[in-house]
Amino acid sequence: MTARAPDAPTAPRALSRLRAPEAARGNALHAGAWWLWALGLATAASRTTNPLLLALLVTVAGYVVAARRTDAPWAHSYVAFLKLGLLVLLIRLVFAFFLGSPIPGTHVLVTLPELPLPDWAQGVRVGGRVTAEGMLFAAYDGLKLATLLVCVGAANALASPARLLKSLPGALYEVGVAVVVAMTFAPHLVADVRRLRAARRLRGRADRGVAALLQVGLPVLEGALERSVAVAAAMDARGYGRTAHVPAPVRHATSALVLGGLLGVCVGTYALLTADGAAYGTPLLAAGLAAALAGLRLGGRRSVRSRHRPDRWGVRAWLVAGSGAAVAAATVWADGRWPEALRPATVPLAAPELPLWPAASLLLGLLPAFVAPLPPAPTGPEPERGAERDAEPERRPEPPPYRRPHRSEESP
Amino acid sequence: MRARAGKPRTGGASGRRAGPVRQARAVRLGPRSVAALALVSATGVAAFGWPLLADSASGLAHARDAPWLFAALLPLLLAVAVATVADAGLDAKAVAMLGVLAAAGAALRPLGAGTAGLEPMFFLMVLSGRVLGPGFGFVLGAVSMCASALLTGGVGPWLPFQMLSMGWVSMGAGLLPRPDTLRGRPELLLLAAYGAVASVLYGTAMNLQGWTYIAGLGSGVSFVPGDPLGANLSRFLAYVLATSLGWDLPRAALTVVLTLTVGGAVLKALRRATRRAAFDAPVAFAPPERPEP
Repeated sequence: MTARAPDAPTAPRALSRLRAPEAARGNALHAGAWWLWALGLATAASRTTNPLLLALLVTVAGYVVAARRTDAPWAHSYVAFLKLGLLVLLIRLVFAFFLGSPIPGTHVLVTLPELPLPDWAQGVRVGGRVTAEGMLFAAYDGLKLATLLVCVGAANALASPARLLKSLPGALYEVGVAVVVAMTFAPHLVADVRRLRAARRLRGRADRGVAALLQVGLPVLEGALERSVAVAAAMDARGYGRTAHVPAPVRHATSALVLGGLLGVCVGTYALLTADGAAYGTPLLAAGLAAALAGLRLGGRRSVRSRHRPDRWGVRAWLVAGSGAAVAAATVWADGRWPEALRPATVPLAAPELPLWPAASLLLGLLPAFVAPLPPAPTGPEPERGAERDAEPERRPEPPPYRRPHRSEESP
Repeated sequence: MRARAGKPRTGGASGRRAGPVRQARAVRLGPRSVAALALVSATGVAAFGWPLLADSASGLAHARDAPWLFAALLPLLLAVAVATVADAGLDAKAVAMLGVLAAAGAALRPLGAGTAGLEPMFFLMVLSGRVLGPGFGFVLGAVSMCASALLTGGVGPWLPFQMLSMGWVSMGAGLLPRPDTLRGRPELLLLAAYGAVASVLYGTAMNLQGWTYIAGLGSGVSFVPGDPLGANLSRFLAYVLATSLGWDLPRAALTVVLTLTVGGAVLKALRRATRRAAFDAPVAFAPPERPEP
């Protein structure tokens, strides 16, 4: 694409400027924008049980993921969440089939023998009539949750967790560093385990079984703890622990805001649990949350550091987040306007129809597939690349035996 | 720095043999952190238990968005709680130890995922909480869950609940009695018993938060808004029996077996690393001394 751009005449050049650029370190999309987009789609999914609309949402999210995902390990989570969604749908159908459904229905599919249960379990029913209406209701509701999960999976696939951690507020800096250390170390630990198992295999000992697991696991843990001391020394040497002097009034204000806010949230939540506490519980909860978040922001004063290449929230981020918000808003509006189209009836049985305007508004969610920066490498034949990567450590131990005698002969 | 951190070790080790020495606390918990943790935990109890705790006439019991409300509220509260703990003192050594242990937890987690709930992660979290104290334990549980979800792309509405409950599991291990004096076989038995109870409770709590949306509204074991507590409770128990008890009990058994067999060695490794890190050593920054010309 970059090779073609200079040859293009002037009129298409304006167009090509509008086209999404290739992602580089400078223009990467803010990870929060992907999450807002996905949460907008999820909100839309939570407002409808129409299977046609839900299928359209899954397709929209899938298209954007296919167009903009990278080769990172988390980029496979769209499929993983799709499987999880199908599992949830299956669980719901199995429950509705064997454990009965409160939905009244007349179309009996099959009548299972009913299990007699003791008195204390009177809310539960095992077996009995299975109606088409009950199964259809369970399927619609399960499909809604599955779509919601798929939207979350799309965010997982598209947003880079490392970038997300970079935009944490200052008060969470230490914990963010701990998460980054953990995410960097975990693959090392897995590699260590592989190496030790390979060493055991070479010595002719079993590398499977409980004993092998323990004899490999303990040295790995010891090594990791050793390494943590070294990491701490390295962090200390780079002036990591330095904190700014925070004046006492600011410190006290932070404490008061955090503790007062949390107290408000706690009391507000428990007020919501009572019969008529919603009147004062909701504002108390909101005010407490605002105070606690203000305290969190004020607490960031203690960390003094500059960010290297902070992710900017640019026009493209606004567009991506805005498309999700637009989908959510349109669906919430449509829910009030055509409730029977968005929640098709299951009693009596009827085929769901595709409402035209709500369906068209869902297509707004496709916008990121055109405005978000293109991932650097086109998503090529991934299984081969994955296989190559797996095969590499197996192949690597071979060269040294050929080279070592060579060198030892030369050196004296 | 490394050499300096190593020096007090020799003295400490020889003093240790003479008698019980106070267990190092990797993260100091001031009254402010304790209050913040208590308030967030109390709110967390409501976030987990609202299907059973809410009055049948309350608006929350009938709101279909209640699970999502709490899934949105909990991350913010966790952020505030963790930031408050970090404010009181999370130095480079604690951050590095936190990162490494969370990495070990995150690496252990996919090991058992899907195979009948064999999660060796619990065992590590319980032992680390015991050795490194309740404050470190809470942050460790939350950070490991977060890191493993980010690594595997498993961020979802369940993540804040997992972070909070794993934080509780690890914090509870730090709050067990006699952390400075109880050693050897009795300690392992105590930790094994705690690990078994904690892992079953963890599973039950996670069921309780998933019950309202995974079981939906359309089946005989799902949450019915506005029903009396007894009816909903029996339905919840049926849901637990139907879905996850087969996962929770093997997990508890695995935690007990691992604690009793390798617990001693892992505890020793953790204590040695804690001693080497010298968490209790006072750190003071002074301007460099100018050599007299």
